[in-house]
Amino acid sequence: MGLVMGTFSLQSKPVTYHKDKADDDLEMTIVCHRPEGLDQLEAQTNFSKRELQVLYRGFKNECPSGVVNEETFKQIYSQFFPHGDASTYAHYLFNAFDTGNTGSIKFEDFVTALSILLRGSVTEKLQWTFNLYDINRDGYINKEEMTDIVRAIYDMMGKYTYPVLKTDAPKQHVDAFFQKMDKNRDGVVTLDEFILSCQEDENIMRSLQLFENVI
Amino acid sequence: MAAGVAAWLPFARAAAIGWMPVASTPMPIPPQDKRKAQDGLIILNVSGTKFQTWRTTLERYPDTLLGSTERDFFFHEETSEYFFDRDPDIFRHILNFYRTGKLHYPRQECISAYDEELAFFGIIPEIIGDCCYEEYKDRRRENAERLQDDEEMDMNNDVAPVNLTFREYLWRAFENPHTSTLALVFYYVTGFFIAISVMANVVETVPCGTLPNRSKEVSCGDRYALAFFCLDTACVMIFTVEYLLRLIAAPSRCKFMKSVMSVIDVVAIMPYYIGLVMTDNDQVSGAFVTLRVFRVFRIFKFSRHSAGLRILGYTLKSCASELGFLLFSLTMAIIIFATVMFYAEKGSTATKFTSIPAAFWYTIVTMTTLGYGDMVPKTIVGKVFGSICSLSGVLVIALPVPVIVSNFSRIYHQSQRAEKRRAQRKTRLARIRAAKIRGTNAYMRYKQNGLLIDALEEVTAPRQALVGKSASPPFESQHHHLLHCLEKTTVRINHEFVDEQTFQANCMEISVVNKSGSRTSSLSSSPHGLSSCCSRRHRKKSSFSLPSTNNQELSTIQIRERPVSNSRSSLNAKLDETVPLKCDEAYISPSMVRLSAPVATSSDDASTATTTYSQSNIVRVSAL
Repeated sequence: MGLVMGTFSLQSKPVTYHKDKADDDLEMTIVCHRPEGLDQLEAQTNFSKRELQVLYRGFKNECPSGVVNEETFKQIYSQFFPHGDASTYAHYLFNAFDTGNTGSIKFEDFVTALSILLRGSVTEKLQWTFNLYDINRDGYINKEEMTDIVRAIYDMMGKYTYPVLKTDAPKQHVDAFFQKMDKNRDGVVTLDEFILSCQEDENIMRSLQLFENVI
Repeated sequence: MAAGVAAWLPFARAAAIGWMPVASTPMPIPPQDKRKAQDGLIILNVSGTKFQTWRTTLERYPDTLLGSTERDFFFHEETSEYFFDRDPDIFRHILNFYRTGKLHYPRQECISAYDEELAFFGIIPEIIGDCCYEEYKDRRRENAERLQDDEEMDMNNDVAPVNLTFREYLWRAFENPHTSTLALVFYYVTGFFIAISVMANVVETVPCGTLPNRSKEVSCGDRYALAFFCLDTACVMIFTVEYLLRLIAAPSRCKFMKSVMSVIDVVAIMPYYIGLVMTDNDQVSGAFVTLRVFRVFRIFKFSRHSAGLRILGYTLKSCASELGFLLFSLTMAIIIFATVMFYAEKGSTATKFTSIPAAFWYTIVTMTTLGYGDMVPKTIVGKVFGSICSLSGVLVIALPVPVIVSNFSRIYHQSQRAEKRRAQRKTRLARIRAAKIRGTNAYMRYKQNGLLIDALEEVTAPRQALVGKSASPPFESQHHHLLHCLEKTTVRINHEFVDEQTFQANCMEISVVNKSGSRTSSLSSSPHGLSSCCSRRHRKKSSFSLPSTNNQELSTIQIRERPVSNSRSSLNAKLDETVPLKCDEAYISPSMVRLSAPVATSSDDASTATTTYSQSNIVRVSAL
């Protein structure tokens, strides 16, 4: 009988241990981050006060804790592309937004990036895009990185397309890209090559102005 | 797409710049935002309670009322706010949905009120958050069941149309004994005979004293064998007749034969017939005795008579999984403990635990705390395990029982509620009808006022006079005017709306008309309303709930009877020929409608056959 009681009591201990762990996790998630003042942000970015207000309200509504982590970011971005898998591209985007490599995007990062994308000069935009493509941040875009990016974009389309996407469509796309961008044919694209090639292409120039009126 | 993330759309669009250098074809032109509305505050006035929110908050869900241009219909210009004449308490939850993206269901609100508000604001209930969704669905299901119960009751209590075939009539009589006295009599008679049969079976086995030339006690069944046999025969005959009648009347014979009650019926009467066939054969008499056991199944026939039995059966059926679990766990425990006890008692002398199956009996008796005492452990180990066995038995049995009990309680309360609603329905309907009668009387007064004015004054200003005289609100006077127009439309001879009593009085003629075979289109369109008045005396039912439409038809028929004043004589003659009224005198309540100035009625000289007809004041045929 004593043995029985003993076994019962032994079993109860791990349960409480688990409960403590859960409580710890809960505490850790209640982290709050407050952005810098409105005036400072206005000075740092190209947005007006009103626009910043609107942006912050939307941001805070979705992320009450003030920061976005990668999981949430991927979830939000995937909602816009229900047909395919947007998680890979969202991962690259996250890294591009998270300039400090902290693992979470604060409101300042968010607004800084948006300021460049929507209100920045052409050079700034192209620089940001180069940063996005340069996955390992070594200053060069090589074929593997570009293939990854293009494949991630094609993943967003999903399987059900018309006409059906061929399996080597990403590869062809990357070859065409390198053909255009890699001026000195050394297998990598540097920032200057990139900016130069883009400025020569009218389509790209025009499309960069496409999203100016988004806010 | 979850509209909650509409706030992130600008960001997603901005991030699309990342695709531009990769793209090989030019991009499409972006849509022009024609309405470059600034983000401003919107005031929503809901029945006086003011709510404020940003415009963009509402526009997160563009396929709802508040998020689309539909809300412009509610814009109140004087106060430049949006006014909604709805419930502010529920609106609070709806607005919170826009703010947080999650719709919650407040437990204290009525489910249909909530559903209505959701439907009004264009929000589908499926997006209720997980926290509240179960509760919402449960309440909704309960409500639907209740409404379905009401509908079924309606269908069951519906007055029988005249043109039921005999078979359908029989089936209805069997299923609802309350529909006619004959069915009720049959119902009670069968119940009585079931009771008699069961009691006879029981009394048969009681010892009845000794026969003079034998020393052994004999049972009553053997002593009065003939009497019992006759009783049994009578009961079985009644049951057989009942079963055959049900079989004939059943709308779907195969389905009927597969139903539980019919199986019980068959099992109840089969032993008798098999016994008849087999009495002379001694070998199978053993089996015949076994068959007599099945006669006890007659007691289950009572479930047609008792709702409680049906509930019990239904509960057991719905708790099948819990009962199965109980059985399974008990079996496991029995096997374990029986094995243990057997090996524990193996050593002791002259032990009753001769085998594990023999120990089963001990285990069952102990676990259910019966403790007959015919088998007891003698060794110490055996006693220890015996006590553990009895303690665990209590636990194992106590676990599934509350589930079964709660199931039973739920079903029982449901049926109680259904009974209560049934009882309340009658009073509710009576009150509703009384309200409608008041409406019709008001209409009579309106017309009377109008006619007085028409008759006494010039045509020049009838309307103003009417308005001046009538004390009713504008809705009522407009409604009455509408009914009046309807009357005037159905020309050539003017019909009239009448109130219920006169309608009842006149339904006598309708039955006459019915029997004499004349048919009008309106008659056939609502036969049940007309025939019901005579056949269903004790039920003032929904056939009278729409006096206006019925009266309309009544008037049509009326006109058939009395086309124009000059042919009245022929009409009277026709009435004379027809079958005399069978309807009860009590129902002929020729109340005069309170018309203070009846214009010359032409109905006073009615035929002798229909005295009531003469007193009806349906008619101001020519006056209008």
